[in-house]
Amino acid sequence: MGRCWLVLVFCCLGQLCADQSLKPQIAAPQLATNNPTLTTVTLEKPFCMFDGSVHPNKSYVIYLYAMKESASAISSLVTDNDNKPLNSTFQQTSGGQLGPYKAALFNVPNCASPPKLAEVGDVNKVSDVLKQYLFRVGDDGTCLYDPNFLAVCNPPLAPDTTYRFKYVLLDSTEGIVKDQTLWSDSIKTRGVKLPLKIDTWPGRRSGDMIVITSILSVLVFLLLVGFLASVFSAVMGSKDSSAEPRCMSQTNQQSEPRPQLSSE
Amino acid sequence: MAKSDDGIRILQGLLVFGNVVIGMCGIALTAECIFFVSDPHGLYPLLEATENDDIYAAAWIGIFVGFALFALSILGIVGVIKSSRTLLLVYIILMLITYAFEMASCITAATQRDFLTPNLFLKQMLERYQKLEPDNNNDKWMTEGVTKAWNKLMLQNQCCGVRGPSDWQEYTSVFRITHSDADFPWPHQCCVMDPQGSPVNLDGCKLGVPGYYNSNGCYDAISGPMNTHAWGVAWFGFAILCWTFCVLLGTMFYWSRIEY
Repeated sequence: MGRCWLVLVFCCLGQLCADQSLKPQIAAPQLATNNPTLTTVTLEKPFCMFDGSVHPNKSYVIYLYAMKESASAISSLVTDNDNKPLNSTFQQTSGGQLGPYKAALFNVPNCASPPKLAEVGDVNKVSDVLKQYLFRVGDDGTCLYDPNFLAVCNPPLAPDTTYRFKYVLLDSTEGIVKDQTLWSDSIKTRGVKLPLKIDTWPGRRSGDMIVITSILSVLVFLLLVGFLASVFSAVMGSKDSSAEPRCMSQTNQQSEPRPQLSSE
Repeated sequence: MAKSDDGIRILQGLLVFGNVVIGMCGIALTAECIFFVSDPHGLYPLLEATENDDIYAAAWIGIFVGFALFALSILGIVGVIKSSRTLLLVYIILMLITYAFEMASCITAATQRDFLTPNLFLKQMLERYQKLEPDNNNDKWMTEGVTKAWNKLMLQNQCCGVRGPSDWQEYTSVFRITHSDADFPWPHQCCVMDPQGSPVNLDGCKLGVPGYYNSNGCYDAISGPMNTHAWGVAWFGFAILCWTFCVLLGTMFYWSRIEY
């Protein structure tokens, strides 16, 4: 079912020409169920989005830009006046607050033979399939604090914030932007709740507990009443037997064959 | 008065039979409670950390009550056969005391079971699992217990969190303080493991790809044994007490009929 759906999606994407009506999409929810998380967003790579602009003899590279939605009021341009791509980093834009920053660069995904998502079940192929199919923004937690890091830094995003993403196609020899997608729809990272707020009150009592408590209380009461009654009757009985000889003779009659009643 | 003599014999027989059953049930109760106290599923640290381990207290009481029931049933049999007033009076009084203790054990087990809700374990897991800086020795002991218990639980039952791995994503926790969300959206014990004990595919686990992480919650694995424990102590004790009630009433009646 998932396989048919995905094949259909890829066919449709291939037929659409790579014009500006395409946007970066969030990765398929059946595949990446934990998306978006607190600090990461996983996007599909731009399969067949730039088919119209790609010439077979040239080499291209794709840049991914990310920005907070609030930054779109300030600036959402990813190119400068010469059509060269913006080289902003996470730190320069305060994590995407002042404008878009470059989060990643990778090769143009293979449109002719996209990864078969059904192969995700195969343990040997899953790493390749995941790597070819999607990209995780916010994956690298250490590059911000590593002074020797020279590549494009992809630090974790802020929780509970809306972000927008854009793919840009770049001609690597000329260094000029050839094509770009629209800004994606707003994608919000997860917010968290405090564990202090979890209510651990159990609610109403269970039926078991009520039955056990009530019945046992009644039984104990009856036992105590029975004990007092038997002590009372034993005391009364011993007083009667000392006061009335008639009862004595009766017990003496019974005492011969019934040794157990006339106890010591 | 032959009828009453037969009646007395029948009553004696019934009382002896009743005491035999009490003795056997006492031994069974002791054995059952020893089994529960031995904690075969390793869940005691979770209860200890909630500071609500009264179902274990109920089981401990059950051990001693069971043994007392066995001893008292022997005393009862001897007393009934000998028709000794003194013995039977001692038997009745001690049985009443044992009855009270067993009643306490049953009610405690049944009541405390109600407190063991998913939210309780969730809150405890988020606040204690892999807490790095405990406040004092007691806190440290509880934290280590909870961490070990959860690790064992997640690995053995192939489960994650209380209701599911989303618990780790929906709430902040002490685990989140030391483990970044990018590398550890949930603990690695939630990943499907290969026979060597390492995750089959870490990226698949982090992304939540079906088949590479355990998507079911551990609450069933926790509540199952705890329910068995609590209900085993409460309802079996209740059954014994109902039977003992009848035997005790019969014994009191028999005692009051014995002439000095």
